[in-house]
Amino acid sequence: MDQLDLTIRIAGENGEGVLTVGDVLAEALARSGLYIYTFKNLPAEIKGGASMTQVRVQDTPVRSPGDALDILMVWNQENYDIHVGEVKPTGVVIYDPDECDADESLALTQIGVPLQTITKTVIKTMKSKNVLAFGILTACLGIPFDSAKQMVAESRWGRRKEFLESNINALKQAYIYVDDNDIDLGLRVPVNQRNGHAQLIMTGNDALCMGALAAGCRYYAGYPITPASDVMETLAKAMPRVGGVLMQTEDEIAAITASIGASFTGAKVMTATAGPGLSLMVEALGLATMEEIPLVVVDVMRGGPSTGMPTKTEQSDLNLAIHGAHGEAPRIVIAATNTEDCFYTAVKAFNLAEKYQTPVILLSDQHLSQRAQVMSRPDLSQVEVVERKQPDGNGSVSPQEFDRYEMTDDYISPMPLPGRHGQHYVATGLEHDEHAHIDYSPEAHIRMTEKRHQKIESAVNEPGFVQRYGAEDAQLGLIGWGSSEGPILEALDRTLAKGYKVAALIFKMLHPLPEKEARAFIESIPVVSVVELNASGQFANYLQGRLAVSLKRFNIITGLPFKAGEIEEYIEGVLQYG
Amino acid sequence: MAEVRTADTASTTAPERPGKTGQAGPAKPAAKRSLKDYRSEVKPTWCPGCGDFGVLAALQRALAERNLDPKDVVIVSGIGCSGRLPEFVNAYGLHVVHGRALPAAQGVKAANPELTVIAVGGDGDGFAIGGGHVPHAVRRNQDITYIVMDNQVYGLTKGQPSPSTPTGMQALRRSVSMPKMAPYEGVLEGQLNILAMVIVYGCSFVARTFSSQATEMAKTIGRGLDHPGFAFVHAMSPCPTFYNTYDPWKESFMPLPDEWDTSDRIKAIDMAMEEVGDGVFHSGVFFQDVYRTYTDKLQDVYAKAYGDEQATIDALMDQYA
Repeated sequence: MDQLDLTIRIAGENGEGVLTVGDVLAEALARSGLYIYTFKNLPAEIKGGASMTQVRVQDTPVRSPGDALDILMVWNQENYDIHVGEVKPTGVVIYDPDECDADESLALTQIGVPLQTITKTVIKTMKSKNVLAFGILTACLGIPFDSAKQMVAESRWGRRKEFLESNINALKQAYIYVDDNDIDLGLRVPVNQRNGHAQLIMTGNDALCMGALAAGCRYYAGYPITPASDVMETLAKAMPRVGGVLMQTEDEIAAITASIGASFTGAKVMTATAGPGLSLMVEALGLATMEEIPLVVVDVMRGGPSTGMPTKTEQSDLNLAIHGAHGEAPRIVIAATNTEDCFYTAVKAFNLAEKYQTPVILLSDQHLSQRAQVMSRPDLSQVEVVERKQPDGNGSVSPQEFDRYEMTDDYISPMPLPGRHGQHYVATGLEHDEHAHIDYSPEAHIRMTEKRHQKIESAVNEPGFVQRYGAEDAQLGLIGWGSSEGPILEALDRTLAKGYKVAALIFKMLHPLPEKEARAFIESIPVVSVVELNASGQFANYLQGRLAVSLKRFNIITGLPFKAGEIEEYIEGVLQYG
Repeated sequence: MAEVRTADTASTTAPERPGKTGQAGPAKPAAKRSLKDYRSEVKPTWCPGCGDFGVLAALQRALAERNLDPKDVVIVSGIGCSGRLPEFVNAYGLHVVHGRALPAAQGVKAANPELTVIAVGGDGDGFAIGGGHVPHAVRRNQDITYIVMDNQVYGLTKGQPSPSTPTGMQALRRSVSMPKMAPYEGVLEGQLNILAMVIVYGCSFVARTFSSQATEMAKTIGRGLDHPGFAFVHAMSPCPTFYNTYDPWKESFMPLPDEWDTSDRIKAIDMAMEEVGDGVFHSGVFFQDVYRTYTDKLQDVYAKAYGDEQATIDALMDQYA
C-alpha cells in the first residue's frame, strides 16, 4: 500500500468554527497513531474575513504543510473561490450547495453537502455545525462511526456532558447523510487506539514553553503580541505549578529589563515577543551583553515591516536579531526548525545563555509557533541542563578583591548572586574593568570588547547547530535556516528520488556563524542557493559578507510557509535550466 | 566551569519558590554595621555641593540602622547623575539603561523577594523616559523603595529642562545661575506634579524629603525601607551647577502639619496640589497604607496551584498527550 499522505483544508468565515474543526480533526488523527501537521491562515481580526485551517496526515512524521489539496471543504462562496484552484486534479471538493455554486466546468469531484440546512432543520443547534462538518470529513476518510464517536467524546466537544449528546447526534447525522447519498471517496484512513503517553501533540510555542521549563526557566516577563502571546498564556498556567513567576509587563522594554533584573539574582529568565517588540528590546539587549547577564529572548517572527502582517509568517527579523544594537554587542542567535526542535532548542537557548552569560535570541516564526505536530515525549533524564558559573561557596574572597569580569581562559567569569554570595558588585552598562568599575581607558575598552566578542565566538564550537543532508557529489546545494528545514528536506528527498544530485545545509545557529561548515559546503558544490522567507535574502547577504562568496537565492514573501513542491520545482528548474 | 545537570533534577541558582520565607539570606551577624560599612571604594563623581551626596549619606545611614547585610541589598538605577549612586554604595548594584530602573528592580524583587531592593534615579529618568513604568510599579506593589532625586533639571547632559522644571523662563531666571535651557528660551511645557501623580496612581507609601535635611531624610528613607510595599520617596536634591535651587528650597520647605493623617489619600492629593500654588514643599510622609504585596498574592496563586507539592515538567506535558 502507498504511504498515507492526505492534505485536508477546511475554509469558512473567520469566527464560524472552521478552526475548531481543523484542531479536533488534527488531534483525533494524532491520537489515533498518525502524524499530523497543521497550517492555519487567518486574518488578524477576531471576527470576519476568510480563514482556513489545514491538516496534513501521514503515517510517518510530516515535514511540511502539504502542496495541493486532497480534500477541500468550504462553507461559503468566498472560500470556494479562494481555495478551489489549489485542489489536486484527483482531489475532492466538499461544498455547501445552499451557500455557494460549484464551478461545473472544473474536472474535480465536487460533493454538495448542505451543512447549514442540515444543522438548521435536522440538528437544530447551530453550535453543532462544526461537529457535522467534522463527521462529514471523518466519514469521507473512511473512519468508522464508533471511532469518530470516541474522537468527539475525547475532544473539546465532549468536555461538557450537556453538549455531548447533541454533538454525538450531529456526528450521527453526518454519517447518515454520507450513507444515504452513497458518498465514498475510497479512503480508509487507519485509526488505532491512542498510543498512550509516548507521543505529544504540540504547537511550536507549547513545545518551546515546555523546553524552557525543563531547562529551569522560572521567571518570564512579557507583553501581549501576535504570534508570541501563546507563550505567555501557556506559561501563565504552568509557572504557578512549578513555583515560578510570570509577569505581564506594561511594554516590551519593561519585559526585557525586568528579565535582566531577575537574571541578575540567578533566575533563569525568558521573554518572548515578535518583531515590533524585538525592536523595542534592542537597547536592553546591548545592556545584557555589556553586563554579561544570561537571558533568553524568543522572537516569533511575523510579516513586517512595522505592524506588517501579524498573523502571517516570514523569516525577516534575522538582520535585527544578529546586528540590532548600538555599538558592538555580540549575542547568540539560534533558530528552531520544527515543533520537537522547539523543545530542545529552547533547552539549548538556556544552556547557551547560562554558560556564556549572554543574551540568546531564539528565532521562531508564526507558522512554526502555531502549527500542531506530533512529537515523541522528551525523556528529561537525558536532557542536559547547564547552570551558570558562580564563585566558590566559601566566601573567602572579599568584594574588594573579587573580579566579576575576571579575564579567564574561556572569557567566562564567575557570577556572584545577590543574597547568596558575599562578592557584591555593581553591574553597569558603562564600560568597565575586570573589577566592574567604570573605566573608559583604551586598555579597558580593548580588553572588554575582546572578552565580549571572543566569548560569543567560542560558542560556534557547540555541537548540533548545523547539519548537512543529501548527495555527497551534489550539483546544487540549498542552504536554509530555522523552520524552512522541513520543506527543504522533503523537496530534497523527492528530487534525490528522481535522480537529481542535491544537498542541503541547515543552520540552527546563525550567530556566531558556523563558518567552517558553511565554507566547506559552498566550496564543494558548483551552485549553492539560500532558501528563505524574506525579500532581500538576509541570511544570503550575511553569508556573502562573511565568506566573500557568491550565492543564488530563492525567496518567497507570500506570508505563507514554503511548500515542499515549490522548492522541488526550484531545484528542478535550476538543475535543468541553470 | 559551568555546572551540568539533567532536566529531571533541581536547579542550583534561583530560590526554589520565590517568597517562601527563610530561603535566602542567613541570619544577620551580631556585629552592628555603621554608615562606613556601606561606603564603596569608589568616590562619588558628583559636582561639589550636589544634593545627591545628602541622599547617598541618608540611604547609607538608613541601611546601617537596619544592619542589612550588603549581600542582601540590591540598588537599581537608570541613567543620570543620580543613576551613579549604586556605584558608591557597598552592596549589589544594577545600573541599567535610561528610564528602566523600575522594571529591572521589579525583576530582581520578583525573582528573589528576600532581597532588600531599592530603585534610585532622577526626575528625567523616572518621569520623562521612564514615566510609563511608574504606575505599573505602583500597581504591582512589590516591596521596593523608589527614591527619586528631583533637581528639576537634566544635570548630566548640562541643563536641559526636565518634566519637573517649572513652566516659563521667568521662574527659572529668578533662580540663581540658570544657563540658557534647550530647546527654547523658556520651558513651554507644564510642570508635572510628581508627588500628586504617584498618590493618584494608588501608591501605598508616598513621602517627600530634602537633601539638606540629613536626619529627616535618613528617617524618611528608613520608613520607606520598612514599609511593606512599593514606597515612593520624593527626594528633592538640588543641582548647584545647572539649576541651583538651594536658597529658594531652604525657604519653601516645611514639615507637614502636626497630626497629619497619613491614611487620608484625598487630603494627601489636595496637599500635593495646593502646595504648588502656595510655593511650598512639605516634607514627611504624605500617605501610607498597607496593601497586600505582589509577593503575598503570588503565595495565594502557588497555594491554589500546587499546595506544597510542585508539578514536575513531565506532569505538565501530560496535557499534550
